[in-house]
Amino acid sequence: MDRKYWKSVEELKFPAKSQMLKQTEFPSDIKEEFDPNKLKGLSRRKFLAISAATVAVATTACKNYRDKGAIVPYNQKPENVLPGKANYYSSTCTGCANHCGILIKTREGRPIKVDGNPDHPGNKGKICATGQAAILNLYDPERYKKSYVRRNNTLQEVGFTAVYSDLIRAVTEASSHGKEISIISKPIFSPSFAKILNEFQQKYPTTKIYTYEFLEPYAKEKAWEELYPNTPMLEVDFSKAKVILSIESNFLATEGSFIKNIREFVANRNVDNAKEFNRFYAIESDFTLTGANADYRIPLNPSQFTTFLASLINEIVTQHSGKLVNTSVPVSKLNAKFSGFNLEDFARQNGIKFSSLQSIVSDLLENQGKSAVVTGDSVPYEVHYLGFLLNEILGNTKCYRIAPKPVLPNNRVVDFVALSEKMKSGQVGLVINLDCNPVFHFSKDIDLANAFSKVSYVFTMAESQNETAEHSTHILPISHNFESWGDFYNGWGLYSLAQPVIEPLYETYQKESIILSLVDGKMIYDNYHKYLQNFWQNEIYPKSNSGVAFEQFWFSVLHDGVFKLEQIEPQPLVCNYQSLDKIAINPQETSWTLIVKKPYFIGDGRFANNPWLLELPHPITKVTWDNYLAISETEAKSLALNSGDFVEVQADGKKLEAPVFIVPGIATKTLAIEAGFGRKVTGAIGENVGFDPIALLSKENFSNGYVLTNVKIQKLNRKYQLASTVEHHSLNDTFVKDLHKSRHIIQEGTVEEYLNGKFKIHRVEEKLSIIPEIKYTGVKWAMAIDLNKCIGCGACISACNVENNVPVVGKDQVMRGREMQWIRVDTYFSGTPDNPEVSLQPMLCQHCDDAPCENVCPVVATNHSPDGLNQMVYNRCVGTRYCSNNCPYKVRRFNFYDFRDHFANGFFYQDSLRLLNNPEVTVRSRGVMEKCTFCIQRITEARQNALAEGRELKGSDVKTACQEACPADAIIFGDMHDKESEVYYWRNHKLGYFVLEELNIKPNVTYIAKLRNKKQEDKA
Amino acid sequence: MSNIDYTIEPEVVEGKPSHSAVNDAIAKPLETKPTWKYYIALGISSTLLLIGAVCLGYSFYYGIGLWGNNQPVGWAVPIVNFVFWVGIGHAGTLISAILFLFRQRWRTGIARFAEAMTIFAVITAGLFPLIHTGRPWLAGYLFPLPNQHHLWVNFTSPLIWDVFAVSTYLTVSFVFWYIGLIPDLAMLRDRTTSKIKKVIYSIFSLGWRHSNRHWNHYEMIYLILAGFATPLVLSVHTIVSFDFAVSILPGWHTTIFPPYFVAGAVFSGFAMVQNVLIIVRKIFNLEHIITLDTLEKMNKVMLATGMMVGYAYGVEFFIAWYSGNPLESFVFLNRAFGNYAWAYWIMVSCNVIFTQLFWFKKIRRSIVPMFIIGVLVNVGMWFERFVIVVTTLSKDFLPSNWDYYKPTLVDIGILLGSFGLFFTLVILFIRSLPVVSISEVKAVIKGSQPGHH
Repeated sequence: MDRKYWKSVEELKFPAKSQMLKQTEFPSDIKEEFDPNKLKGLSRRKFLAISAATVAVATTACKNYRDKGAIVPYNQKPENVLPGKANYYSSTCTGCANHCGILIKTREGRPIKVDGNPDHPGNKGKICATGQAAILNLYDPERYKKSYVRRNNTLQEVGFTAVYSDLIRAVTEASSHGKEISIISKPIFSPSFAKILNEFQQKYPTTKIYTYEFLEPYAKEKAWEELYPNTPMLEVDFSKAKVILSIESNFLATEGSFIKNIREFVANRNVDNAKEFNRFYAIESDFTLTGANADYRIPLNPSQFTTFLASLINEIVTQHSGKLVNTSVPVSKLNAKFSGFNLEDFARQNGIKFSSLQSIVSDLLENQGKSAVVTGDSVPYEVHYLGFLLNEILGNTKCYRIAPKPVLPNNRVVDFVALSEKMKSGQVGLVINLDCNPVFHFSKDIDLANAFSKVSYVFTMAESQNETAEHSTHILPISHNFESWGDFYNGWGLYSLAQPVIEPLYETYQKESIILSLVDGKMIYDNYHKYLQNFWQNEIYPKSNSGVAFEQFWFSVLHDGVFKLEQIEPQPLVCNYQSLDKIAINPQETSWTLIVKKPYFIGDGRFANNPWLLELPHPITKVTWDNYLAISETEAKSLALNSGDFVEVQADGKKLEAPVFIVPGIATKTLAIEAGFGRKVTGAIGENVGFDPIALLSKENFSNGYVLTNVKIQKLNRKYQLASTVEHHSLNDTFVKDLHKSRHIIQEGTVEEYLNGKFKIHRVEEKLSIIPEIKYTGVKWAMAIDLNKCIGCGACISACNVENNVPVVGKDQVMRGREMQWIRVDTYFSGTPDNPEVSLQPMLCQHCDDAPCENVCPVVATNHSPDGLNQMVYNRCVGTRYCSNNCPYKVRRFNFYDFRDHFANGFFYQDSLRLLNNPEVTVRSRGVMEKCTFCIQRITEARQNALAEGRELKGSDVKTACQEACPADAIIFGDMHDKESEVYYWRNHKLGYFVLEELNIKPNVTYIAKLRNKKQEDKA
Repeated sequence: MSNIDYTIEPEVVEGKPSHSAVNDAIAKPLETKPTWKYYIALGISSTLLLIGAVCLGYSFYYGIGLWGNNQPVGWAVPIVNFVFWVGIGHAGTLISAILFLFRQRWRTGIARFAEAMTIFAVITAGLFPLIHTGRPWLAGYLFPLPNQHHLWVNFTSPLIWDVFAVSTYLTVSFVFWYIGLIPDLAMLRDRTTSKIKKVIYSIFSLGWRHSNRHWNHYEMIYLILAGFATPLVLSVHTIVSFDFAVSILPGWHTTIFPPYFVAGAVFSGFAMVQNVLIIVRKIFNLEHIITLDTLEKMNKVMLATGMMVGYAYGVEFFIAWYSGNPLESFVFLNRAFGNYAWAYWIMVSCNVIFTQLFWFKKIRRSIVPMFIIGVLVNVGMWFERFVIVVTTLSKDFLPSNWDYYKPTLVDIGILLGSFGLFFTLVILFIRSLPVVSISEVKAVIKGSQPGHH
């Protein structure tokens, strides 16, 4: 009866075990002690945990910027990121050799704006227009996103590793065959990278490093070396110079530490200390922005510069030797050398008033040790030599300071000529181009393009396409400066750091990383970062004596962006007068001369694909999107040329076809052209932009100045359209002559008149209004612009473009007169076409109290805020353009198209460029009016902060983008009701005036009248 | 010449036709099939209309950047067209209302046509303020309509005044025109044999039975509407001129603008009516109703208004000099001798010089010369608006603002399209409604008036 049923053999045989298994088949709970990690092997739980983690990591952590996933809030807030709040990182700009300190503003992890780093003693919080706009290069949709190999003469897109392994092979091949590895680079200011290169050289001894700077003034270095052998070159400290004589120098815009120069130059242009104004004489052939700021500007053909300086020295040492303070001057030796040059004769021969040259002499003599002679980067060796000599004679060496200098000395052009020969003869096994474009930069007779084709491996590391990459076998894309680490040493004791502020957008590495990996054999993304830290720990930290742990030191330097190790003072100079014997100064006939200048905004051509910079109007002529041959009105007439006529220029058998543009004040028989334009291989933006004057240069020019004499000009029967943002008319046209003065748009006086009370601002006393006056209480915004300080550099325009998402319209639309920039710098010429005087005036929305734009808008899309802003409501605007018609300053800008879409086939709608926009500023649609808002987004932010902190909003809480950018601090912004504020002071200054005051529309931008430091006797 | 008795008004209708002959002559185009010439004319005008429509479509799609407008010339050809067509629309109401009040019996032959042209011209003009905006799909913002934004229009803006002035003018002109049509529509209703037409005419004639009571009401309302329309003739162009006069630009900001604009509008309106009627009377054999006398009278009006316009040109220069305002004198010198001097001299020669030929009776009464002068007047008046709008904007206060304006092909296409729209409407009108007021003409035929027997 008691039958036992069993279900399996086991149960039958081992009943106890089966019973236990039955009971534990579904355990009622998991004990706390249960730990899957302690289980042997891969448990089910562990497997599931790992696979869940894998999925989680795969779906979230591996996401990058290119993914278009759903927008989800942060589950875990990343450290230091608060949505809606900007983060700032200090870094260093690598746009030019000045390496200004920068602060990069990022929002939600993407950089949107760059400004100067106020802690940097060089640029003190200011950067140039190019630096402002360089952020577009980061997001440039035409950057290299992949690596390329050239096979069968076509570029093939490949992965990074493929090109990198080729690079390793090429390096080993070249070094094992004993062939040279040539590394060509832009100047190297990074001590750590210099060390890496050094290690590279040690590992591969056949390596040679060639560094250069585009249009570098080698002639200047040579002249310095002659006069002061074995002494590092110095530059002028303009804050110490009371009298400045510039020979074709553009020291306020393109040459030397120009941001610093601007600050120091305008420091002596303070109207409240008008007695201390510096006096600035400019002798130049081109019309430079620097010349436009001169008190006296004398146009002179470049071939006469040497004669001029020789005559000037002769005048000083023969007529006024008794007045010389510097007793070590060998007067008799100089007398003998320069006796053939007479200043009066020179003046007569060149049609210059002798008295104006005499006043230079007397000013220089009266200000010995406090004056400066500056020679421009383009002029020949002799001019530099005489300029340095003149400073020596006058004792002006006191005004010198150390010039920035790369860590590795730059090579001379002869080295590149030799390199080219070596490549052609097969001695070079590998060329690595590091972020430079030698094929474009050097003249055709050096023949680098052809030489590259003789080398089996040419690797080019570049951000975007260029002429050198076109002649390379391999292209490695490199990270933008904002994606890279870096350190820089400027030669006078200051170090600065660059840090990445965004993950590389594409599969790129920084060039330092790649070279480093060739040294240590490891290609790791972060290798250079670690190397840099180690370098600083071993090399710089010990010298700093900072007394804190290295980590603390490192992060504090990273935070500040700069670290001043020591103040290096210039070595005492010992002048080698013996070198006088070597120099031959021969008077030259004035012949047709062409001078090649550095461009204002596009650097060495690397920014030639940056639409913001191409559309920035030329500071003098307001031409955008092109360069041209500048010619004077008189000479153009003699050759029957009009602006836009094509000419063929011949120099030594080399030819260039380019259009001319009539610019008043260009010297006789002179053509001036800016280089960096005319790039052949750029992206879609830089295509067909400008003309390349390097075609006219030969290798001799690179060592002896960029002046070509005896050029031939022939008019061609073709026209070219140059897009200028203003209308040009002859200065002889009496109908429109000096309207800016008769209409009191520009009010100017001289220092002398101002000091003795003769100069009075034209004011309109009788003002009637039928409109009841509106009372404003609380903060009311106003601006003041000091025209004594504004030098017209255009940094404000560039900063405004970036801050306010101002669209680029393209050349065709500029020609139609539809440029969109919210702030512009007006250039007014007065005087004669041969020797004009320039007045500059930034013009932006004047935020008039009784704004004429407001009452005519049918839909109240433009109206007034309680704090005095003239506002624009984009949503409400239907685009009647009535407001713009009625605006006497014409500072309103209309979106005739959706310019983001219209420009270059929707360039600004490409994915990467969408990241560029400032999220605080509405992107305007087609058909609406826009204009300067006084950076209302910054005002709002400041107000929010004040509210959050429970205090009153102060005028000084807000800085507009243009004000922040202005290297001369010419723009002052704030609360006009705050009697303590600077803007209140300038608004009530006796030199302050409103443009078109007689209209009684109560503008809120005060202009401080410019004073020119003229001598009394010239007032006739 | 000397035997004319000026105490007796000459007959306005020649040949004393019978009432039924008047009916027949005027109703004929409505009751016969059009000839091929009609279709050619319609084809040309509708092609122009299509060109305009395509150009507008392009502008809507790509943006008004397709036009030549720039900074500083925010307004250009579209606004020129607007002012031009509003001007054309002035003759109609002037003829039908003001001349009616002044009991000018010669107006009867041309009043209907002139009024129709007024309506078509104002329709054409009214398009421009809407399409010239950057975002025409939001043109509704220009009307004071309750909206979800709780936003109102800006009553200090002359553009809003324009909206009211033009829409009022269009409404009143249309009502006035329609009231005048009622007796004629009733007559057509009674004549027609087509059933469809009968239904249509019956509806639109509002049950008119030619009864004494009807005529009594009709005369009353017509008089009231004439009185109502009269100030509008003056107000519309006055307000259009305010678009410019209320601004602060030298060259726009002048008090002479309202009378100057009204005179110019009447001037160009008469030229357009004269032009079109010359063709209509020829084609439809209405020479005895729209007589040479009538045309001569119109030419005299043109001579008078042309001289008013010329006077305004002179006064502007005088005041520019007399005021001593350098900005003002610069603007006027710039108009005459600057970049746009060609436009200025086209304007002066067409409007002031050529119209002087109307001093000669022979020219006033010859069809071809008067037609040519009429065309030139309209060319001149278009350029007058061009000169006012464009030259002023192109060179204003700051020399750095200045820029030259050039119209594009799209601008010209839209101008052609406006002519296409106007003439298409005119051509459709002459075949669908009586071009001359039948009832009024009957009343002015010799013998129709109450007399001794």
